[in-house]
Amino acid sequence: MEEQTPIENAPQASKAPESSPHENPTAPKSKLLAGALLSVVFVVGLYYVNRYWIAPAVRAQTKTEGDHPLAPEFSLTDITGKPLKLSDYQGKVVMLDFWATWCGPCRIEIPSFIELQKRYAAQGFTLIGISMDDSSEAVVDFYKQFQMNYPVAIGNERLGELYGGIPGLPVTFLIGRDGRIYAKHVGAYDPSVFETEIKELLAASPADEAKGFHQAGPFFQEDKIELGNPAAIDSEVPGIDLTKLTADQKEAFKKILASKQCPCPCKLSLLKCRQVDRQCPFSRKLAQEQLDAFLKEKGSGITTK
Amino acid sequence: MQTAKKRDLRHMRMLLWGLVLTLMAMSLGWAQNKSSVVEAHAVMATDAAHANSPLKLAVLAQVAAGYHINDHKPSLDYLIPTELKVDPSDQFTVSNVVYPKGTLKKFAFSDVPLSVYEGTVVVGTLLQAGKVIPPGTYTLKAKFAYQACNDHACLPPTSVPLNVTIKVVPRNVPLKPVESDVFQRIKFE
Repeated sequence: MEEQTPIENAPQASKAPESSPHENPTAPKSKLLAGALLSVVFVVGLYYVNRYWIAPAVRAQTKTEGDHPLAPEFSLTDITGKPLKLSDYQGKVVMLDFWATWCGPCRIEIPSFIELQKRYAAQGFTLIGISMDDSSEAVVDFYKQFQMNYPVAIGNERLGELYGGIPGLPVTFLIGRDGRIYAKHVGAYDPSVFETEIKELLAASPADEAKGFHQAGPFFQEDKIELGNPAAIDSEVPGIDLTKLTADQKEAFKKILASKQCPCPCKLSLLKCRQVDRQCPFSRKLAQEQLDAFLKEKGSGITTK
Repeated sequence: MQTAKKRDLRHMRMLLWGLVLTLMAMSLGWAQNKSSVVEAHAVMATDAAHANSPLKLAVLAQVAAGYHINDHKPSLDYLIPTELKVDPSDQFTVSNVVYPKGTLKKFAFSDVPLSVYEGTVVVGTLLQAGKVIPPGTYTLKAKFAYQACNDHACLPPTSVPLNVTIKVVPRNVPLKPVESDVFQRIKFE
């Protein structure tokens, strides 16, 4: 029997390669990374689309009469010594500008405001400047230096709160001939924004609300028109409306606030913090919660907003 | 193997959706969440102090992104400077306050660049402990006063209250240095 010799250099039976879990590992990972980056871009894009397109459009569509509240009346003395009352301008379009001499964005708007006053005063428009400076000296100097041509008065915390709080400066309100607030702008804006609104309001009748009015420029959350509650502003516990309490209940409630500490760095009682720092959001929130609990305990059935 | 691959991909997809949802929630919170623009706290250079000796204090302030506060020596006379105000104390007197150098920055509301502080601001104070202070714990009150703006609006001037606890120990008790990295940044003269 012939021996069979092994075949030399016979090709080795090649093994089928095992499919490795790490084979071509970069493909799925790179896809996921690309997906993550696209998601981030998508979310950031959503934010800006909402802020500059959707929110203004929604706001314009949902405007109702309640969105144009009557502008709170005020009575001040302007820096020339003359009385300055909002009601004296009834029937006119008023641009109410909260500003300060130490505020760069405020200062840069003033020359264009002077121009708006010149251009539209004859048509029934006026600007009123409410300076939030601590003293009038710097305001008087500024007024003279810039040759301001509209009334300016020194404002106060109470007036700011009546107008919904002044989160920053400048804050500008557009008030129509009917005495209603139609627009609010926080921050400095291009004068064309205000001019568009002024022209629209000048065209409206004082007898009717300007229902078709559209706020010009970008709209931000802080531009929403919300006024303060005078009862809360003038309260013995600033920011908290106590009008539904009897005299005895007020005293009892104040004792409760005096016994609790505000968590803010002031380390004062809630009552004291409310009295010395009206802007403290902590004591305001906690004092309101205490009032709600107090009323519930008394079982008066009276609820607060 | 195929099942393990599919499982891995499914986990990765879940993580990705989690990331998307988190980012969406964060973006909604951007507009609403405006906590204090400047937060500040004080630290000492040593764990305690000796009577009749100098001691160093630093105030670290963090300015929120997008905002700035004015240099202690502002570029324009109408701007409100940043200032560390230490309340008078029976035990400690202020020898010197060292402010950092501001950064020159151009803003839309100003024709000239302004010297401002952004991000982390470190202000140093050299104090002198009184000649006779019994060992004990004392509180020194101070305020970090500032006025902040962003590109198109300004916040009212305000301040962060600071309560600094200073422990006075007998002279034979050694003092340990602390927060060295903070105090290395301050040029006390």
